[in-house]
Amino acid sequence: MENILAQSAVRLQTNGAPLATASQPVIQLRDIEKVYQTKTIETVALNRVNLTINKGEFVSIMGPSGCGKSTLLSIMGLLDEPTSGVIELDGRPVQSYSDKELAALRNHKIGFVFQSYHLINDLTVLDNVELPLLYRPGVGGKERRERAYAALDKVGLSARTNHFPSQLSGGQRQRVAIARALAGRPEIILADEPTGNLDSVMGEEIMDLLLGLNREDGTTIVMVTHDEQQARRTERLIRFFDGSQVQ
Amino acid sequence: MIRHLFTLIWNRKRSNFLLMAEILLSFFVLFVVSVLLVNNYYNYRQPMGFASDNVWQFDVNPGQDTIDRKETLQRLVQELKATPGVAAVTWTSDNTPFSFSNMNTDEYLYKDKQAPLTEFYDADDDMAKVLSLNVVAGRWFDRRDDASSRHHVVVNKRFAEEMFGQESAVGKVMTNEKHDEEWQVVGVVEAYRSGSDFAANEPALFSRRALQNTARLGNTEQPILLVRVQPGSAAVLEQQLVRKIKAVTKGWDANVNTLAENRKDKMKFVMTPLIALGMVGVFLILNVALGLFGVLWFNISQRKSEIGLRRALGATGNAISGQFLGEMLVVTTLGVIGGWALAVQFPLLGVFGLPAPVYFMAMILATALIFLLTAICAFQPSRQAAGIHPAVALREE
Repeated sequence: MENILAQSAVRLQTNGAPLATASQPVIQLRDIEKVYQTKTIETVALNRVNLTINKGEFVSIMGPSGCGKSTLLSIMGLLDEPTSGVIELDGRPVQSYSDKELAALRNHKIGFVFQSYHLINDLTVLDNVELPLLYRPGVGGKERRERAYAALDKVGLSARTNHFPSQLSGGQRQRVAIARALAGRPEIILADEPTGNLDSVMGEEIMDLLLGLNREDGTTIVMVTHDEQQARRTERLIRFFDGSQVQ
Repeated sequence: MIRHLFTLIWNRKRSNFLLMAEILLSFFVLFVVSVLLVNNYYNYRQPMGFASDNVWQFDVNPGQDTIDRKETLQRLVQELKATPGVAAVTWTSDNTPFSFSNMNTDEYLYKDKQAPLTEFYDADDDMAKVLSLNVVAGRWFDRRDDASSRHHVVVNKRFAEEMFGQESAVGKVMTNEKHDEEWQVVGVVEAYRSGSDFAANEPALFSRRALQNTARLGNTEQPILLVRVQPGSAAVLEQQLVRKIKAVTKGWDANVNTLAENRKDKMKFVMTPLIALGMVGVFLILNVALGLFGVLWFNISQRKSEIGLRRALGATGNAISGQFLGEMLVVTTLGVIGGWALAVQFPLLGVFGLPAPVYFMAMILATALIFLLTAICAFQPSRQAAGIHPAVALREE
């Protein structure tokens, strides 16, 4: 597992600086199918999807509800397994990875931002942001705190560290969720309708934040959205319909 | 991670309070059951202080015969002692080993200090031989006691310690409140737990009653004789002794039991309420276990979204189940701390008068049991949490 992570790190960094790798694929999906099977019904969520996400890209995925966007994001984030097809992360197929290896990959390489924030209400903002680092061996309490403070500073919430999520507005909660994704310093952020629960002003703020992360830090971002205007601000727009990529 | 668990539990103190209270009460139930178990085991491990093997008990009933009872009994004892296969014979009071009768008193005073409640036994010079009593200081009764104007008594170590402290008990003279009777200690036996295998080592006092003294053989008293026989003696000797009793007493009834049989009967009698109480304890524990199981199951179903989030952030299935187990163990620890605060009052206040080590052992046993119980109850729900698919869990709100 450490080898896998180390190889990834070598590819990503030269003297500590991000590589300019516009054409370097970080996620590749080949012939991905996802079928949900019940006793009486079979639902095809994804139908032979082929998709490459390059390093440093900001890609948005659009489509009507139920077209498979979130399923696609779950598969990219290694949270779900496809029924068939190949997923490659940094050129390495991950199907054969164990639960432990997949968990480590998610922890090191991927940050998640969800529409409903998924903050733990009984933890403070700071504790919420520290969460991914709890599952990273070798990161001590002091370093966790420092990285969490840095991430919160980046999203402009350094004055709210001891607040609980219930004491924050929707936009602030989403900023906390973004800070949590950033705390682990992932190469990829997968955002599932990050502005879906926010008004247009807050939505724009979050979008600006994500664009900043992409441009300034070179973070690869894949975002599912229903908002055409926001999707147009990203580098590439992929449209889905009935489980297939249409554009 | 431990700090994280404490933070979570502290921040969820309201919802965890009931669980902690349930664990505290469960701990207390287990503590009470453990006190019973440990106390009985503690007593069981104490020396009995006498040997009951090869001792037969003859309950002699003179019936309507009130003539020359003392002489008849004296002759009977001599005849029995002379029988081949008989090692020793003693005439004793009703509270024989493993019997259902007891006699106690606290009438003795020494330097104005009142005796603890003490089991009182009538004994003659041969009782020590019949029951193989272990005299650890002074001596057992013998003819030297005939001429004394005081009652001569032998006490057990427990009585000696409680009455005389560190001083030697032998030679001490006790009196009663009216100062009209005196008892002089001539010897100390190690122990005498005659009630049952689980009886506590309570203070005991043997008062000499020689057959020469007729005052205490009333017309209604049914003498009880304990007879030590040679090992391996069988029904033939028993028949022979019964016939001899009939012949010497000219018609007194005699009922014979071995002390080994009496011991078994008493054991059954003592064990029955213990087993019943144990079953009630098990039933309570089962209820507690089901309660904990249900609470944890509910807890996990309420936290599916959190489980999905943690999985997305890099937690393995084992880390999730470890977290739920860990949370349960921390909550258990907090409940047990409360339980200890209550339980420790028992030895501090001397409730029920049991030895302090019994309470401390019971606390340790109850702690181990409650942790085992919660770990077992938390295991399956935790494994279930570990198996929740992250993508599915994240859709839960």
